[in-house]
Amino acid sequence: MKLDRSLIALAALAVALMLPLVIEDSYSRHILIIVFIYAIVAASWDLSLGYAGVFNFAHMAFFGVGVYATAMTAKLLGVDPWFAMLLGGVAAAAAAALVALPVVRLQGIYVVLVTFAFSQLILQVVISQSDLTGGTQGLVRVPTLELPGYNFLRDYKLGYYYVALGLLVITTICLRALVRSDFGMSIQALRDNEDYGVARGIPIAWQRLKVLVFSAFFAGVAGGFYAVYLRVASPEVFSFATSSLVLSMVLVGGVSTIYGPILAAVVLTIASEALANIDGLAEGRFMLVAVAMIVGLRYLPGGLISAFTRTGRGRVSPAQVMPPKTE
Amino acid sequence: MMTAEALGTILVSGLVLGSIYALMASGLSLVWSTLGIFNFAHGTLMTLGAYVAWSLTDNAAGLGLSPIAGLLLTIPIMVLVGAAMEWLVVRPFYGHRAMMLITVMTTLAATVFIGKGIQLIWGARLKQLEPLVAGKITILGTTISAQELLIILLAPVLLAALWAFLRWSATGRGIRAVGQNPYAAKLIGINVPRLFIITFALSATLAGLTGVLISSVRLITPMLGDEPLIKALIIVIFGGLGSLAGTIWAAYLIGIAEAFLIYTIGIYWAPSLIFILLILVLLLRPQGLFGKVVR
Amino acid sequence: MTDALRIEGLRAGYDDFDVLEGMSLHVGAGERVGLFGPNGHGKTTLLNAISATLARREGVVSFFGDRIDRARPQEIVVRGLIHVAQANSLFPDMEIMETLELAAWTPRARADKVANLDKVLTLFPRLAERRRQQAKTLSGGERQMLSIGVGLMCAPRMLMLDEPTLGLSPKLKDELADAIGAISAGGTPLLLVEQDIAFVLALVDRMYLVDHGTITREIDRGGSVDHQEIMDMYFGTETAP
Repeated sequence: MKLDRSLIALAALAVALMLPLVIEDSYSRHILIIVFIYAIVAASWDLSLGYAGVFNFAHMAFFGVGVYATAMTAKLLGVDPWFAMLLGGVAAAAAAALVALPVVRLQGIYVVLVTFAFSQLILQVVISQSDLTGGTQGLVRVPTLELPGYNFLRDYKLGYYYVALGLLVITTICLRALVRSDFGMSIQALRDNEDYGVARGIPIAWQRLKVLVFSAFFAGVAGGFYAVYLRVASPEVFSFATSSLVLSMVLVGGVSTIYGPILAAVVLTIASEALANIDGLAEGRFMLVAVAMIVGLRYLPGGLISAFTRTGRGRVSPAQVMPPKTE
Repeated sequence: MMTAEALGTILVSGLVLGSIYALMASGLSLVWSTLGIFNFAHGTLMTLGAYVAWSLTDNAAGLGLSPIAGLLLTIPIMVLVGAAMEWLVVRPFYGHRAMMLITVMTTLAATVFIGKGIQLIWGARLKQLEPLVAGKITILGTTISAQELLIILLAPVLLAALWAFLRWSATGRGIRAVGQNPYAAKLIGINVPRLFIITFALSATLAGLTGVLISSVRLITPMLGDEPLIKALIIVIFGGLGSLAGTIWAAYLIGIAEAFLIYTIGIYWAPSLIFILLILVLLLRPQGLFGKVVR
Repeated sequence: MTDALRIEGLRAGYDDFDVLEGMSLHVGAGERVGLFGPNGHGKTTLLNAISATLARREGVVSFFGDRIDRARPQEIVVRGLIHVAQANSLFPDMEIMETLELAAWTPRARADKVANLDKVLTLFPRLAERRRQQAKTLSGGERQMLSIGVGLMCAPRMLMLDEPTLGLSPKLKDELADAIGAISAGGTPLLLVEQDIAFVLALVDRMYLVDHGTITREIDRGGSVDHQEIMDMYFGTETAP
């Protein structure tokens, strides 16, 4: 059960560590790096959406905040890129705290609407402050990671690969620890039966705020890495299409599982990139993603990972994540 | 402090905005009240309506029909699109415990699908729709186009027609009944799934019409409906999700507020301030300004 | 003569579990039948299963000889089998008159709308007095009357009533009993679900006892009701001193 999944995860990690020995071209490694980045974002989204049952639709905006915070501090303020990544996480966490204020006391659809509006607001702000953010063009020539004696740029992305993988591993470990902690238990309790949890003294608003902040932090760091790796920050990160892609990783992968979204990130990113190379499907692939999401929700409510694990502690379908609609 | 002319400008542009928002938000509110879901694709449906009308009326690349014919023909097309969407994206999840969240995601997916489809079919270049009426008029010391005046006059008429439909027609009553108590509606023989599809098609038509009206005063882009959707979102929260009247009032209020803010603090900061206003309202009154308390 | 309603081996429930475990009963044409039992034992589920407002059900259900176990809720109403649910099944923001007129929804009901409206308002004068009031502002008794009125506006060939007296004062219960009696006196078969044993006994020709999703006893008029048996059903048999 638990052991099963951890073993498989370790095996996957071992494979991932050794892949660059077999895969040596920049492009394939690039795809994998993008996989790792999306995996971090999707897995951390699962924390707030799946485990806490908070219909958080601002998560991609937090990622975007990380991207821009890192890009701006590294490029405009000359902050060391490593530190800038961390700042990206902090900035995202701060944004989450800001959103959390109105959201934690709201119910159901209002959470969706407010977080969604918030994400669009961030987009507006980014576009409008073009002096700082480059507006619709974005920021380019963002400084990249440096290590004494090692040149990240000349090694066919090997360095980036391991940094991205490292971030994913750290994120996964942290998320799993969080979920198993008292904190994790309490947010799941609140998700499953809010009234009971509140009656037992769980401070609901505070817990929700923490969940949003934690999950945003990881997304922000991923965004920071995205910025120093691609060396670009553009408003594309806020687009519906990107949000849908990552959201579908969470849903298709399996809500409330951590590993599910990671698995789905692998599958969907590779599929998405593969489709992008087919003539005429560069934009159209998002349409396929959309269809996949709808079909997935219809026929695989437990997510991809439910096909692999027969018993699933924490294998929760979206149906169980929220309370039934009262009429 | 402010000149009468300035006030006039604000009021008039506020009314134009408010009219557009009211039409748009009423479609959203209708779907929410009746089906209990929030249709995130409402924005792209607006965009689609604009493009369809363009294809019908453009003299160079389209069918070259008159603006009125284009507007009228857009209606049955949007009805079909709305019905198809309900059937594909909402109906499979009826009765699901998490229907609301799932349909948020499926309508989001539909948004991407339709949005990208629009890009592929019509391309990203800006387009223009011929207005229904031409010329300029001066009111309250402000000059606006005749088309904008038409919008200000047409919107209340359409909204009144919607209200009358809901209040007095058999189907309209059925729609309201389903919204108030779907179980009781079934017990008196109302075909609830059929009413769902009718409501959704009606909402899509309202969205499409709004899109046509918007594009008669602004340029058409594939992103036409994105920004109004956010406003619609804010409006239905302000006005209270379950209340059509509240939504309409809120729409005009926000339209005027936005016009005021654009005039005073500029177009870049206006959206942010409206959002902050929304947060404040929600903190004090979680059910919106006019709405009923909703779980 | 064909039975108005015939049920055999009905299983139904919610999500993963069954509430009804193979129920069988029948209501003859023109007959008045009661259904009695404690809460949670499946009485409402039974009515929901018959009117198809429950997704999951298996078994045979016939209405005047026609199979309806695969029918959709609106089709069942069209045939004239009307389920009057517990009083929360009204439209909160609609006025009384509006509600009654709306209830004549099916073509058959529309045909008799004027006549039925007259009947309902005569039967329940209080509804006529408050015709412009919204349902959510009505008292419990008035809501009950409106619910039954709604059922009548559907032009029923048979009525199923779910606990019409729930929460009502004895005086109101008497009024309601008279009204129901008047309705069934016209020959409309009746399935009456109730917890108030006296109320049921006064109105029906036959009664079923429901226990844990099945019928445990059938009692004919003239047969005696064993009060001890009823007590046992409600309070369990561990009442030994």
